[in-house]
Amino acid sequence: MARKSFMYSVLEAVQYEMRQDKNMIWIFELTPPVASTPGKPVINLETEFGRKRVVNTGIDENWMAGCVLGAGLAGSKAVTYIPYQGNCMCFQMLQNHAGKLRSMTGGDAGMPVVFILEMTGQTPGFAGQHSDYEIDTYYAHIPGLKTVIPSNPTDAKGMMVSAIRDPNPVVFLWADALRTLIEDVPDEQFTTPLDKAAVRTTGSDITVVGSGGGMPEVLKATEQLQKAGMKVETIDLRSLKPMDTETLVKSVQKTKRLLTVDQSYYTLCPGAEVIARVAENVEGARYKRVAFPDAPPPASPEMFLWMRPNADHIVGAAKKLVG
Amino acid sequence: MGERDKHPSRTAETDRTSSTSRRTFLKGIAGAGAAISLGSKVAWANGEIGFWAKDLTAEQLIHMYTTIQRIRWYERTMVDKMLTEPNYRGYNHFYAGQEAVATGVSAALKNTGGIMEADLVYSTHRPSGHAIAKGVDVRKMAAEYDFRATGLNKGYGGEMHIADKSVGFMGADGMIGPGPVIATGSAFAIRARGSKQVVVNYGGDGTYATPHFHSTLNNATLLKLPFIYVLENNLYHQYAHYSYSTPMKDIATAAKTYGISGVVVDGQDVFQVYNAAKEAVERARAGEGPTLIEAKTYRYYNHWGAPGAKPGELGAFGYDPLAITSFRPEREVRAWMARDPVDISRNALISWKVLDRAKADAIEAAAKKEMIEAFAWADKQPMAKPEDGLKNVFVEGTVPPRQFG
Repeated sequence: MARKSFMYSVLEAVQYEMRQDKNMIWIFELTPPVASTPGKPVINLETEFGRKRVVNTGIDENWMAGCVLGAGLAGSKAVTYIPYQGNCMCFQMLQNHAGKLRSMTGGDAGMPVVFILEMTGQTPGFAGQHSDYEIDTYYAHIPGLKTVIPSNPTDAKGMMVSAIRDPNPVVFLWADALRTLIEDVPDEQFTTPLDKAAVRTTGSDITVVGSGGGMPEVLKATEQLQKAGMKVETIDLRSLKPMDTETLVKSVQKTKRLLTVDQSYYTLCPGAEVIARVAENVEGARYKRVAFPDAPPPASPEMFLWMRPNADHIVGAAKKLVG
Repeated sequence: MGERDKHPSRTAETDRTSSTSRRTFLKGIAGAGAAISLGSKVAWANGEIGFWAKDLTAEQLIHMYTTIQRIRWYERTMVDKMLTEPNYRGYNHFYAGQEAVATGVSAALKNTGGIMEADLVYSTHRPSGHAIAKGVDVRKMAAEYDFRATGLNKGYGGEMHIADKSVGFMGADGMIGPGPVIATGSAFAIRARGSKQVVVNYGGDGTYATPHFHSTLNNATLLKLPFIYVLENNLYHQYAHYSYSTPMKDIATAAKTYGISGVVVDGQDVFQVYNAAKEAVERARAGEGPTLIEAKTYRYYNHWGAPGAKPGELGAFGYDPLAITSFRPEREVRAWMARDPVDISRNALISWKVLDRAKADAIEAAAKKEMIEAFAWADKQPMAKPEDGLKNVFVEGTVPPRQFG
């Protein structure tokens, strides 16, 4: 156990798997697979495994995604880290190929690959392209891809191990806002399921559901609401596809109130799917959605920070729903 | 002058192919007595040496030097602001070091008349030089860089999305890839409507690797579009050397594949850039198709922001924490700074007796003063209203707030 960042935790998981499997490859551009943490060795996949297996490509996300897909089809495990600037440039490779090939070949195609798709850190001042948060919706919609979104370094490590070992193509959404989180993460290799939501707090007044980069604000709001006496059951989705309907339904059967929180745009945000699934299974519950408006994020911090869902927004919405 | 001679612009082999098609074209229109410009090889044969700066008026030459100084001092003023004012919110992908490229290109363009008349420029994530050279108002730019409501784009865009179509500056772009493809769309529209405009797309060495680069040149060639790809090879895409992106030393060699003109030019020398740009522009206006110009240049600062820079000093040196595994050797930075576009243009104009030292100094002082005043003006501009974030999604109306549940 040691204090580790999101990046360190994930690279530790990958390093272990690459040491076990000499065929496994890692493709990156611009973001070197390098991480350090006090008291632990520096991890550098490029120097450890060499440029035959670990490649810094030119700026071409289409190729990066296609490369790992092709490697997978040829029987090698493969992971690519696509930075947020290119996280939709590779859309076709995932939507029309990785997601459909197994079905179209009647089960013949094997794709033991992981697409790490970085999302922006939602930093104020960066405008539309560099502070959006939207691809959770896009990628979760694609059949044939497992789409997960860990919200802390521990889950990131366990879910990366599971993703690499999973025989299906996995989209591993990497919310860059979480890069500053540091926590104790086990040194040994462990797995975390790719189809289970995590119940972060238990309560009977309201269910609050969030995911990924939104979780720090959700947890902050939960604490504030608990201090104000509200019994909050907070759920971290972790996996968007498959979605853990059972955990969601069980919770709302108890609380009868469901608040979803998304950094993604309102229309078709993951919370919309959560509410739909719960509504099909629970009688007499009430619902609310907090989400980013259906607008590209403007650069101006005054506009952007007002629009980006935060703990205050969540607390306000929860009180409206419970009060 | 001597410095410049060591790095003459040179025409890639590919010119031979295109000059053949130009000759065919020339033969076709010669009978009509049309006055047209000449490509370099044909021009050479006609006694032209391709050094077009000899025809420029003193006023035009001084304008070029002034533009270089204005870009330089926009950047230096902002670097110092970032370094000395902890509450300053603006950021920049600094263009300092590359000024001669944007200045030389814009000097060959029409920069007034809006999108139906001006030549159009598509920029990158490193846009300040492109914008200033095209004629964008620097006060509004400075205000936009600090997200003010009265900024060039009302605070919605910031540095990476400044745009001003009134001068044909179609905008910066934070992505690597799509920009040039979109630019060829504008060139297609121009060809279809028969206006005499041309489209310039700026891109860096990193763009070679993208599929969009090849789509751009292929379609521009197939359709003979009035399109110029100015590839500013500053050796690094973000923190990686361009050898990670392309097997070629001269990216202009790629033009050969498409059968178009490809030129390598000394990007530190504004007159060499102008020579190449003028020929490319006139080729495009004459309906002879696209050109790929590779300008060899260098940025004096790191990829982003001001790490490694000191207030009052030009350039950034040493470790950039964002670079992690690859950063630029200080000696490389200093070697390029020894061939500074400001010095090269200044020395040329003084030796040509277009300027004397006092006048050159006065131009620099005026540029510095203008930029200090522009950023001071920007500091006094109002902040954006939060709820305005719901505007400008569509032409009409606003979208509903959704963040409150």
